[in-house]
Amino acid sequence: MSIKSRSLFKSYGDLVAVNGIDLDIGSGKIFGFLGPNGAGKSTTIKLLTTLVPPSRGSIEILGIDAIKNPLDVRKRIGVVLQQPSYEPNLSVEKSLEKYGMMWDVDKKTRKQRTDELIDVFDLGEIRKKKNEDLSIGQRRRVQVAREFMHEMDLLFMDEPTVGLDPSARRNLLDYLKDKAKAGLTIFYTTHVLTEAEYLCDEIAVINKGKILAVDTPDQLKSTFGQEKTIKIHLANKYDDLIGLLLGISGCRIEFDTGTNIIIQSSKAEIVLSQVLSILIENNILIEDLSAMPTTLEEIFLRMVKDTNAPNN
Amino acid sequence: MHPTIRLVNRNLTISLNPGFVVWQVMFPIVYIFVAGFAYTTLIDSVKLGDVSLDYPAFIASGMIGFNIMNSTLVSGIIIWNDRRHGMFEQILVGPFKRSHYILSNVYTIAIVGLISATLITSIGFPLFFKSTHFNLLTIPFLIFASVVGSILFGSIASIISTRLRSSEGFNVIINTVFLFFAFVSTAFYPAQGTPEPLATGFYLNPLTYLVDIIRAGIFGTFNEFVMLEMIVLVSVAATLFVIAIKLLTKLDL
Ligand SMILES: Nc1ncnc2c1ncn2[C@@H]1O[C@H](COP(=O)(O)OP(=O)(O)OP(=O)(O)O)[C@@H](O)[C@H]1O
Ligand SMILES: [Mg+2]
Repeated sequence: MSIKSRSLFKSYGDLVAVNGIDLDIGSGKIFGFLGPNGAGKSTTIKLLTTLVPPSRGSIEILGIDAIKNPLDVRKRIGVVLQQPSYEPNLSVEKSLEKYGMMWDVDKKTRKQRTDELIDVFDLGEIRKKKNEDLSIGQRRRVQVAREFMHEMDLLFMDEPTVGLDPSARRNLLDYLKDKAKAGLTIFYTTHVLTEAEYLCDEIAVINKGKILAVDTPDQLKSTFGQEKTIKIHLANKYDDLIGLLLGISGCRIEFDTGTNIIIQSSKAEIVLSQVLSILIENNILIEDLSAMPTTLEEIFLRMVKDTNAPNN
Repeated sequence: MHPTIRLVNRNLTISLNPGFVVWQVMFPIVYIFVAGFAYTTLIDSVKLGDVSLDYPAFIASGMIGFNIMNSTLVSGIIIWNDRRHGMFEQILVGPFKRSHYILSNVYTIAIVGLISATLITSIGFPLFFKSTHFNLLTIPFLIFASVVGSILFGSIASIISTRLRSSEGFNVIINTVFLFFAFVSTAFYPAQGTPEPLATGFYLNPLTYLVDIIRAGIFGTFNEFVMLEMIVLVSVAATLFVIAIKLLTKLDL
């Protein structure tokens, strides 16, 4: 196990940022941590990386008790925090080099890695530029590249692709995949679903400090993906329609503007035929009707919506 | 290499930029030579104990103290920048303890303070060499002054940098504080002859004690009063140092 936590809690005053999280993450995996703003992703990373102590609970990182021996943990992990960090008056190449020095990497390796990372992260044009003169996305690229100056067994990344352009983003994801193949374990937070789907072996969805589901992207889809989304677009508003639709068993109305209605159901075929007969019986004119598999994005949005509901 | 040494290396790299060096070297040189000679017509000689100094020698020796104080700005700037640019967190999530970070700043201040004092001593030497009463105490006094002085003023700069949140505040506040220290002290002009309240103000100011000790070392004017000043300086430095360490230890992430 690379990461193991039990009943992890962190509160700030009255606010519970992390509310009982259990994790078991194996080695060589890319683990996606997915959740909306304020879900508790960054707080979880800060707990796991020993930056802040938990209010309660246990953490074991690479087999080391992270609460008792935080320094031993930190020596073996890499961390790209969500917050930018840079040395304003050092050039890109100098800041990589110095970061390697801070990690006690020998001079020769430092030089070699600096050149290598400048190449991989496409920093050649800005290598002599000072960090304070870089654009936000360039600075983020330097921050991410810098973390690979040292050896590590486990890497934490908190939304590393924010601010990166599509090609830099793809470039980073592919680099991470290669690293994982070579044995690096990566804990990766994001709220971009397609990214998690592309990159991760396993995904946890978190909201309000609690994990809602953990599974492989495929398994998440098939668990929830029996479901189909039916979209109805009406020519005119028909007031009694919602009442009639609610009569169909297994039919859940997700969205309704009167003329645009979205239904989700795991018995889509049966529901669809009943919807059709209601529409025909009542002479309701439709502009468009479609049924398609629910995407991971919709699953995610619904999970979050369900936990945000007032009765939760 | 020890983690603290690695951090000192990094601290020196980021703070010894051209701007800082120019400020550290050029300003004192210009001041010593321009003001030093311009004012000789106004201030004929300064009495220091039994010794009588010409003004250039007086100001060059005062400048050593001023420069030690000024150089400790680096510690404040390092902490302030590290918080503002995320490096504080990044270091603490790396292979370091908070105590490594704090110690590295202390060492950085002491090193920069020592270098600064040496630099100004060599630049000012031609001006005060004829009055110099080189003795057994000279070098130890200069080292004592550099180390205690830099810890004292470094602690002040650190305390300010941990207390502030807004982005523009640090430079304004630190410069105001240090300007006050510089001009309400005996670094640039003697206490004798100044109005009573100002002369009292001089002795509420650690920089006055610092330059008195430096001058005692260079011109051989050591006496019981200087001894007392050394005790006061060490006590104030120790107190401020403890406060600075406490604040840094508790600094929120
Ligand atoms: N230092 C702090 N003091 C008080 N509250 C905090 C602190 N840090 C985080 N919180 C609160 O804890 C909750 C979780 O924050 P966290 O930063 O972990 O969210 P997140 O999932 O990373 O969100 P985002 O996607 O916006 O980065 C939020 O409600 C936040 O306001
Ligand atoms: Mg976050």
